[in-house]
Amino acid sequence: MEILIYGAVTSAIYAMLAVGFTLIFGVARILNLAHGSFYALGAYSAYVLTTLAGLPLWLAALLSIAIVAVFGVLVEKILIRPLRSSQLGVLMISLATAFVVEQALFLIFGSEYRNVPAFIDTKFNLFGVDVAGQRLLTLAVATVAIGSLYAFIQFTRLGSAILAISQDPLAAKYMGIPSDRIFSLVMAISAGLAALAGVMAGPFLSVQPSMHLLPIVKAFAIVVVGGLGSIPGSIAAAFMLGYAETIVAYLVSGSWTEIVSVLSTLLMLVFRPAGLFGKRAAF
Amino acid sequence: MPISFKRQTLQSLFAGLLLGSGLLGTTALTAQDKPVRIGVPTSVQLQVGRDTLTAVKMAVDEINKKGGVLGRKFEFVSADETENPETGISAIKKLTADEKVDLLIGGYTSGVTLAQLPHISAAKTIYLGVGAASPSITNKVKQDYDNYKYIFRVGPVNAAHQARGLVDFISHFVIGELGYKNIAIVGENAKWVQDLVPILSKGAKEVGADLRLTELFDTQTSDFSPLLAKVKTSGAQYMVVILSHASSDVFAKQWHDAQVPVPYGGIDVKSMDGDFFARIGGKSISEIAANFAVRAPITKKTVPFFDEFKKNSSNFPVYSAFFAYDAVFIYADAVKRAGSFDTEKVIKELEKTKHEGVAGEITFDEQHDVQTGPGKVNFMFVQWQEKGERAVIYPKELRTGKFIMPPWMKK
Amino acid sequence: MKAFKGLDTLSSFGGLVALLMLGVLPTLFTGTYLVGVLTVAAIYGIWAVSWDFMSGLTGRENFGHSLFIGVGAYAAGFLNVHFGVGPWWSLPASMLVSMLFAVVLGFPTLRLKGPYFALAMLSSAVIMQRLMLIFWEYTGGEEGIQDITPLVKNPLHYYWFVLAVLGSITLLLSWMARSRWGLILRAIRGDEATCLAAGLPITTYKIVSLVISAAFAGLGGALYAHYQLQVSPQLFAVVTSITIITMVYVGGMGTIFGPVGGALLLTVMTEGLRNFGEWRLMIYSLLLIFILFFLPNGIIAPIWQKMRNLGRPS
Repeated sequence: MEILIYGAVTSAIYAMLAVGFTLIFGVARILNLAHGSFYALGAYSAYVLTTLAGLPLWLAALLSIAIVAVFGVLVEKILIRPLRSSQLGVLMISLATAFVVEQALFLIFGSEYRNVPAFIDTKFNLFGVDVAGQRLLTLAVATVAIGSLYAFIQFTRLGSAILAISQDPLAAKYMGIPSDRIFSLVMAISAGLAALAGVMAGPFLSVQPSMHLLPIVKAFAIVVVGGLGSIPGSIAAAFMLGYAETIVAYLVSGSWTEIVSVLSTLLMLVFRPAGLFGKRAAF
Repeated sequence: MPISFKRQTLQSLFAGLLLGSGLLGTTALTAQDKPVRIGVPTSVQLQVGRDTLTAVKMAVDEINKKGGVLGRKFEFVSADETENPETGISAIKKLTADEKVDLLIGGYTSGVTLAQLPHISAAKTIYLGVGAASPSITNKVKQDYDNYKYIFRVGPVNAAHQARGLVDFISHFVIGELGYKNIAIVGENAKWVQDLVPILSKGAKEVGADLRLTELFDTQTSDFSPLLAKVKTSGAQYMVVILSHASSDVFAKQWHDAQVPVPYGGIDVKSMDGDFFARIGGKSISEIAANFAVRAPITKKTVPFFDEFKKNSSNFPVYSAFFAYDAVFIYADAVKRAGSFDTEKVIKELEKTKHEGVAGEITFDEQHDVQTGPGKVNFMFVQWQEKGERAVIYPKELRTGKFIMPPWMKK
Repeated sequence: MKAFKGLDTLSSFGGLVALLMLGVLPTLFTGTYLVGVLTVAAIYGIWAVSWDFMSGLTGRENFGHSLFIGVGAYAAGFLNVHFGVGPWWSLPASMLVSMLFAVVLGFPTLRLKGPYFALAMLSSAVIMQRLMLIFWEYTGGEEGIQDITPLVKNPLHYYWFVLAVLGSITLLLSWMARSRWGLILRAIRGDEATCLAAGLPITTYKIVSLVISAAFAGLGGALYAHYQLQVSPQLFAVVTSITIITMVYVGGMGTIFGPVGGALLLTVMTEGLRNFGEWRLMIYSLLLIFILFFLPNGIIAPIWQKMRNLGRPS
């Protein structure tokens, strides 16, 4: 029973990270390795705004998401766009950015773990399982966020523009869709989603300067398994991975969880490179 | 233009003379005036590292105020060894080959220290360890004295002794006073824990504990819910933890938020930090952590050290600080007794050390390892109580407060 | 000589001069510190060159190079410490082990393109690292294997030995890159379909180049093991692969000799920045962004090109 609930929470966090990652890739063909930094920055801004500026939590959370979204847009505009011709170049510079952010966080905040306050501090008992309130809230928030994002893309004009660019950038341009502005918008959404994950998960996961690394590796793996550029694929893969990890952790041992996600990535790549729902094979 | 040429030559000659006399002047300084350089390899990014450096600085300042040792003042230089063996090795090389230090004081991660040993031995430099607990480090001294006699451990007490300290705690307090026989042992999968757990398990069983669960988790783990759930279902009544590099903060928070009905305590290095309780919103309440010293008159030096340290830094010292502070004085005293800085002579004197340190009396065994026992360096088990107060719970003779249960388990 | 047919004299001469300068450099300073830094730099050079040969030429960026390094290093460690075999045997042994892994991994993954291949190799490296930690009773876990015997005790002599190895590998791979081999590998990067249509056995070429790349990576791993006198799972880390790729990037991808300069530059930079204490890694990362942004073709190779063209009449 615990597996069901904890697995759902883990998957939800992964889903938030993966969806943002796959979105920016699907639309702008950018493999943004600084995506984990957005997650980290989300958690840290929440910490700063609540602890040092004394703001109420809900306000700090909203501000954090906004700040990180802006940061994401700036990173894309200033650092990534000029290098768009080389995929490896984009990869490397986003990676270097992630390192700079990590070092900056370390220099400013030190290596000790920071405390991000939780929205709900009480414990719930769901079907006989003790769950921290914050975890359940994360699950709920993730569902709402991703659901709204999906609805946004499917049902609004802007959403269609995004889809258009991801399918055929040139044709979209001919149709008069301002691709650069759309890139910025998508980046903002992507970063904001990652920041949301950071704000929600910060209270119960670790908040320290190198917290960006593991999420990005997992997000990368999930996105590949789900199919680069496919949102439903990422969600499905996120749940698969989240549950696989949780099951292994409960039944076998914590040490094997890492291998589960990575191994499944490897196997998927070997046998079905397009991923579960990917449209293009090995791009 | 003959005139300007002459002037140029004269000027350069003059400059050359000045330079030459300056150089001669500096070489006239004898070796005696050269300061004693202490190299500090440590994890500068962590509290343990920062406190090591602060403590060394305090000791060096005190010694210099009294005129140094044998006419020479002390100075120190640090090198970041991080928690990675490759960086650790290059830190040792930097200190010994480049900075040419006379002495090394530092260390934290046992794996890094072990990797550094052959390089320290090759540099024939005395090394006083203050942070790493694996017995393998000092085993080298016994296995190959000629090459590894330079290695000493001023602290912490090695993992084997720590295990026995824990066994005492379990036997007399957890079983003896609390009446809890069902124990779970949970630790991070690091070298010193791997060394410690077998001794702990055996000892615990010998004193009557029913070991329900033993699990070593990956140091990087950030989600402990599976682990905590396992502990709960195992029927354990007390959770003994062994943590140093792992995310103790997150562990405590998750334990508290899920209101796990199992109190915990043991060795938790991060919990030794003075601000541990505060920085996790008080969620470590009722956790018991082993400390080598708290601000209490364990020896004459303890309280003054704590107070002086607080002036130099914004927090209370962690364990490496006590030993780093003592290490500088131990070296200085050994040099005084030997009457020289010659490495071989100093080593002989170091072996005879009997020093009243911050946490207890420091003496070394034949393996150059700090000894434990009455009056010497020992574990004290300290509990986090309301409002971040800490009370010594065990040993009974040092008790300063009453044991409390986690808030959700009070009747 | 036939061996130098593909390599023009100016380049080989330039390389020789550089090598000699590097060899002489540490003798100008007392103490073993510089020798140590340069030895590590040279080993990274070997790794960078081996990476460039496969990935730089075929455009298949291998993000799991650390795997070949790690298995080579651990092979050396195991042989030396657990089986008591003399250190010189590590060199061929590590090459064989790495080549084996390359064959096993290469077959299923080399059909993948771009980021997929990168990810597959990265995943493999991560899995190996995890396995080393999980089976800590056999592999020494976090702490790895200690007490490896050095190949050559004198640090300066060992440095010269590593330099010689670096020089030979660079020469060999440069020659191969400029020969028909290199041409085909570059063609694969350009358009695989056409190559297939032309009847070239691309799979063989891809696998063989990966195997060669892995062999030298493993060799470097063994040299590293006998220098550091220990191996740890850190070798398999993603950071290692990325460091090497950065070095290649800075040196100039696909040039084979450029990465050597990149390795030297970055290793010296990492050590040299020690004086900045806590700021070291931050400055390093910022410098990296600077280089990536303004010098996308790297530093070393373009500089060499300019130097060559100086002597040319325009």
